[in-house]
Amino acid sequence: MIFIMKHNATEEQVSRVVSRIEKWGCQAHLSTGKEQTIIGVVGDVRRIDTEVAARIDGVDSVMRVQKSFKLASREFHPLDTVFDVNGVKIGNDHFVVMAGPCAVENHDQLMETAMIVKNAGAQILRGGAYKPRTSPYSFQGLGEEGLRILAEAREKTGMPIVTEVTEPQLVDMVASYADILQIGARNMQNYALLHAVGESQKPVLLKRGMMSTVDEMLMAADYILSHGNWRVMLCERGIRTFSTYTRNTLDISVVPLLKQLSHLPVIVDPSHATGKWDLVAPVSRASLAVGADGLIIEVHPRPEEAMSDGAQSLTPGNFQELMNSLKPIASAVGKILS
Amino acid sequence: MVIIMRAGASEEQIAEVSYLVEKRGMQIRRIIGEYQSILGIVGDVATLYSEREQLERLDGVENIVRISKPFKLASREFNPVDTIININGVIIGGKDIVVMAGPCSVESREQILETAHIVKDAGAKILRGGAFKPRTSPYSFQGMGEEGLKLLAEASQETGLPVITEVMDHQMLPMIMEYADILQIGARNMQNFTLLRAVGEAGHPVLLKRGMMSTMEELLMSAEYILACGNDKVMLCERGIRTFETYTRNTLDISAIPVLKQLSHLPVIVDPSHATGKWDLVAPTSKASIAAGADGLIIEVHPHPKVALSDGAQSLTPSNFIDLMKDIDCISQAVRRCYERG
Repeated sequence: MIFIMKHNATEEQVSRVVSRIEKWGCQAHLSTGKEQTIIGVVGDVRRIDTEVAARIDGVDSVMRVQKSFKLASREFHPLDTVFDVNGVKIGNDHFVVMAGPCAVENHDQLMETAMIVKNAGAQILRGGAYKPRTSPYSFQGLGEEGLRILAEAREKTGMPIVTEVTEPQLVDMVASYADILQIGARNMQNYALLHAVGESQKPVLLKRGMMSTVDEMLMAADYILSHGNWRVMLCERGIRTFSTYTRNTLDISVVPLLKQLSHLPVIVDPSHATGKWDLVAPVSRASLAVGADGLIIEVHPRPEEAMSDGAQSLTPGNFQELMNSLKPIASAVGKILS
Repeated sequence: MVIIMRAGASEEQIAEVSYLVEKRGMQIRRIIGEYQSILGIVGDVATLYSEREQLERLDGVENIVRISKPFKLASREFNPVDTIININGVIIGGKDIVVMAGPCSVESREQILETAHIVKDAGAKILRGGAFKPRTSPYSFQGMGEEGLKLLAEASQETGLPVITEVMDHQMLPMIMEYADILQIGARNMQNFTLLRAVGEAGHPVLLKRGMMSTMEELLMSAEYILACGNDKVMLCERGIRTFETYTRNTLDISAIPVLKQLSHLPVIVDPSHATGKWDLVAPTSKASIAAGADGLIIEVHPHPKVALSDGAQSLTPSNFIDLMKDIDCISQAVRRCYERG
């Protein structure tokens, strides 16, 4: 349910509405725009009579949110969510590029990659320490040792780090190293994990499950948002279809669709979406042109030696070339690519 | 199989090689590049390939390559040079993005003439409009038939825009060819092999839409049917595939664009209207398609989408379309260096 306040509503009127909502046993979330304040309400809203509520001083109208997701919906929060991760702005007209290896393999590999992607213009460093691999016999990541190396790379380059957390018990530990917690596609509906990252109050990159609909993804985001953690990014990483020429099928139209339905920033992962390094550049350009707020790209100094995802990793040269080609597109669509 | 001739090989040398190949009952397609000629061989090439060492000794022959893909004439191995199609002066597959636009169906004389002028003024180069409509329900409007084709021809005369329209049945082909400049094979007919052969023999330019459950390989094999009949004026069209996600009418397979450009030399056109089914997703996906390297777009525009007899929900209004054409121009400029065409 949302309360739309009148243009001239005073702060006092707003706080009176909030306390009435709390008295009804619900929680109020304020969205203060330049023109108007909107109050989102969650909880058992059946107790609130919309006609009575609309008569409170300063209230313009009261509406029930029809969508199954509430906090993530644009009705609830009409303005784009914009936030800052250690000085890097995410959302609205900012375009962010996160890059790095699939997995942290050793100290030298990560340091080398971090310097390469930073010099090419990436703002955030990616790297997996806990890897949810399809086969139990594949390299599972360096664990906490990998996180230490990531933290060292942040010290050296100043880039915030994004890394995956695979289970609720690890959230506190991973959060002590990472700047952004990534929820992988296979964990999009791991509700215990969603609650835990919500509690942590760390920024979250939530990947779409490979068989998940838009509604399911936005409800997963609501799990995190309901803990008061507003710094959530949605990530399209390809869905499973009958077409197996590519690893997954990038659902490009989900980007403008998510931007219509939700206020949260939308990031695209072209590496997992295609699974082929030579398709990463064209679909990255398409993602920027379609209106995405950022990209997360796998880069490896020597992809042929990578312990995971070598086929979809860009070489340093490929990555530099891609970054150069993104600049004119960013200005054509009015995005800031710093 | 492909015989690559040396740069500067003489006509006599090429004729000698061709004679030997044809004598064995195989067909030759000659591809003339800027520096060298390539002879594409189709037919049962297994024996010929086993004798390649002899062939390679012939004067003027550089080397011989067997094509690993099941599609041959459509493959880039066979013809490394981008195919460029000239439709009454409109170049498709060249340096410029080509936009085809118009209503889903021709509904009346006023409607098609009005739309033709609108899309032309906004910068479209080809007029689309359906006269024979393959509708999911047999009770839906099935199109105006030949009367619609006559109206399309009139709109074409008035505006100078070439016309693209769908052909559903091979028996109607001669009649449709009298009016249309490009024949569209719809998604539901991508594997209607009788129709593919018929348009192949007709030699008219063809826009071949990907079936909604067809793989890249199947699409290229269908193109092969048309090419094998001697018609090399074929465009491939990605129009969205069926997936579990039903928020959009189909799911635009954006990576199909660079994949098809890698595998084939044929121009790739995207249909964002059918791919999304929602007018407000047409503009962003159009921009994305150009940024991914598409050669053109086919877009539904209606002067009054609310009263359209078909596809109203996915049709752009004239002002939507004018805005989009400006955006397309900006993106084409921005990616000009990324994709070498033509």
